[in-house]
Amino acid sequence: MEKNIKQQTSRTPVQELAKMGLIAALYIVITLVVAPVGFGPIQFRLSEMFNYLALFHKRYVIAVTLGVVIVNFFSPFGLIDVVVGGLSTFLVLVISRAATKRMKNLKAKMVVMAAIVVVSMFTIAGEIYFISEEPVSFWFMYLTIAGGQVVSMTIGGFIMYFVNKKIDLRK
Amino acid sequence: MNKLILGRYFPGNSFLHRIDPRAKLLAALYFIGLLFFVDYFVGFIWMICFTLLVTKISGVSLSIYLKGIKPLIWLILMSVFFRVIFTVGGTIYFSKGPFAISSYGLLLGFFSFNRFILIIIISTALTLTTKPIDLTDAIDALLKPLRLLGISTAEFSLMLSISLRFIPNLLDETQKVLDAQRARGVVFGEGNLLEQMKKIVPLIIPLFSSSLKRAEEMADVLEVRGYQPSKKRSSFRQLSWRFHDTASLLIMGVLTIGVIILNQFPIIEQWLL
Repeated sequence: MEKNIKQQTSRTPVQELAKMGLIAALYIVITLVVAPVGFGPIQFRLSEMFNYLALFHKRYVIAVTLGVVIVNFFSPFGLIDVVVGGLSTFLVLVISRAATKRMKNLKAKMVVMAAIVVVSMFTIAGEIYFISEEPVSFWFMYLTIAGGQVVSMTIGGFIMYFVNKKIDLRK
Repeated sequence: MNKLILGRYFPGNSFLHRIDPRAKLLAALYFIGLLFFVDYFVGFIWMICFTLLVTKISGVSLSIYLKGIKPLIWLILMSVFFRVIFTVGGTIYFSKGPFAISSYGLLLGFFSFNRFILIIIISTALTLTTKPIDLTDAIDALLKPLRLLGISTAEFSLMLSISLRFIPNLLDETQKVLDAQRARGVVFGEGNLLEQMKKIVPLIIPLFSSSLKRAEEMADVLEVRGYQPSKKRSSFRQLSWRFHDTASLLIMGVLTIGVIILNQFPIIEQWLL
């Protein structure tokens, strides 16, 4: 059964482009449709797990960035989120790939990536600071967002780890 | 599930709907940038008046715009609150330790609040009056100068088109998988974090699997039809730039001149401080 759902190896640039487009679409759908996993008043965004895809193949760096850009067009801050969110996602994914390049253990790679994503949350807090010009709100937002992101990335990490056991995401 | 529309496009034939998406995108970006150069109260009043005019000519009710603010209102108010209590200047109304409520603090709080609200309203105006597909065409057109640097934007355009094209299909598929899981007794959104997480895995796996399979099938079809990413391609939808598109960008020039002039008149600031 597991072998049946293993994917074939991509051989052409067209296949890569198509996969990037479809995964970006899937990111958008999961963001829009699947309600955040929540416990009480605290909610965690499931689409954060897509960040881990970049560890499996470089195509996902573009795919996830594209998904973030499209979704952010329809976020309340719109264009600012598109630029800041798009650029920071791209950079975080590229940095995570580079930082984990020599690592063999997938779990260790995922932990490193989660740490990079959590640290990178200063971009969102910075966005708020840039608009409000208030340094206290920067640290308040940063700690709040980073705290939520730790949980989101932990949950997302477990889900993506199990998904990778069923589907070879490197192919 | 297909009723779920990506974005917030509001069909209509208003002046704003008719403006070329490239002009709208450029103007919206410019407006947001310009907001950071407004120094004084009168400048903000000028920008508020312009934003209200935009909402009026969009033909969309103001209440729809206000709905866009709702999800972020606490974040905005908290940020404004910090701005107010940590800024001291002018008349002090209340003071305790490092905290104070002063006239200058309230004024800067007003500036921050307006910047947040105006950014949200202008971004909402863009997406309310522009179809997502037109928006992607506009992005594609505006990225064309990157070709001069040897970066192929055609591939980016193809990915954008594929993404938007397949969102309805994936939405349907997600709904089917959700229904199938529910039929087996799964209740989403209940239980502790670990239980909720376990319920998500059987939802994600078939979606990933079918997306990758669909991508391979589509790539085969594209290749059979002779699609080559590196070749120059024409577009099915053609954007046409007209006079009112140029006029809309000239209005941004007028707005800028207004900001430059009003930045010379700190009328309220002088009165408060």
